[in-house]
Amino acid sequence: MLGVLAIIATAWLVAFGLGFSPADRDQEESVRILYVHVPTIWVAYVAFILTAVASGTYLFSKKHSLGFDRFAGASAELGVLFVGLTLIVGALWGRLTWGVFWQWDARLTTTALLFVTYIGYLAVRRLGGDPHQRARRSAVMGLLSVLLIPLVHWSVRLWRSLHQDATVLRPDGQVKMDGLMLFSLFVGVVAFSLIYAWLVIHRTRVLWMEDHESEYGLEAAVEQRRAEALETPSSNSTGGKTDG
Amino acid sequence: MTDLTPRPVDDSGSRPSRRILPLVVLALVVAAGGVILTQFLTSAVDYYCNADEIGQRSGCDEERRLRIQGTVTDGSVAVERGVTSFTIAFNDVTVPVHYEGEPGGIFKECIPVVVHGQFDRGVFRGDRVEVKHSNEYVAVNSDRLTEAEFEGCEPGST
Repeated sequence: MLGVLAIIATAWLVAFGLGFSPADRDQEESVRILYVHVPTIWVAYVAFILTAVASGTYLFSKKHSLGFDRFAGASAELGVLFVGLTLIVGALWGRLTWGVFWQWDARLTTTALLFVTYIGYLAVRRLGGDPHQRARRSAVMGLLSVLLIPLVHWSVRLWRSLHQDATVLRPDGQVKMDGLMLFSLFVGVVAFSLIYAWLVIHRTRVLWMEDHESEYGLEAAVEQRRAEALETPSSNSTGGKTDG
Repeated sequence: MTDLTPRPVDDSGSRPSRRILPLVVLALVVAAGGVILTQFLTSAVDYYCNADEIGQRSGCDEERRLRIQGTVTDGSVAVERGVTSFTIAFNDVTVPVHYEGEPGGIFKECIPVVVHGQFDRGVFRGDRVEVKHSNEYVAVNSDRLTEAEFEGCEPGST
């Protein structure tokens, strides 16, 4: 159901982003990149915040449920995916409007740092050890990494940046954007949020299966081997010759 | 008695690589983080000087290589023999700019830009022009009045 809604919302986004919404006075047609660039970074922020919330819940709850750790990992993976998308479409947008793909200005630099930090988080998750060791160390990193988000968001106000200031989440509450453009942006946020929700559910389930496989893998392998041996007693004499 | 002897599995090389890969990624992440932080400290902080800060603010001296922000003055753009000349202004202070080539992006009059370059006998010789578009989004042809206001731009409004 969630997947169907995500597909429908994406179709709406294509219709509004490429069709119904008007071109911008200054940026002309390139403004349509906005409908992917902004929603992907917002969803990435949400993904990383949820990673931190799940990490904190794992660390500070009495039960220490690995379900929270798996959700944190899945959410971080999708956050990295969405920040990557933000950086790619942002570079394309930058080339069309600024005239350059990349500049080491405050917003771009802090976003790159956010991206690299969460790649590090994902690497830490794969360092080995039992699931609870993995969960503890990645939870600490998940809680620390999320502190970068306010830095990224406020970088355009803290330092002089080539990147423009916020249009929607402005401190004065005023939104200086054409109505249809704003609606298209809203459709983009809904579409990417649904995509995130859909993927994070499935990815969490896959991570559960991976943990389950490694936890019960040995017992299952012994059981399977026993069953095979009972089924084909004649093959016992040639044990170890076939693929496992 | 059933034979439960584990079957031989050829996993030579797979386990070490599975352990080393995250460590390699972590090392690359640390290295990339170092590069990004270095760039941040040397380039991102104080990305540019405003046109009215030249010679007034620390780090905005005419003798050094600069990045200057200002709005392209209305009617100032001229292209001659491959050189684009224009003036940029901020808080009523104007700076003449010469740029070899045609600026990319959405460069035009009345739009804020950041020019990279160095002063030469009172003229700022730019080698890169970046357009710093605003955070306002206005539909093209949606409002004649807005269009008219835009044409009569005021420099240094950013």
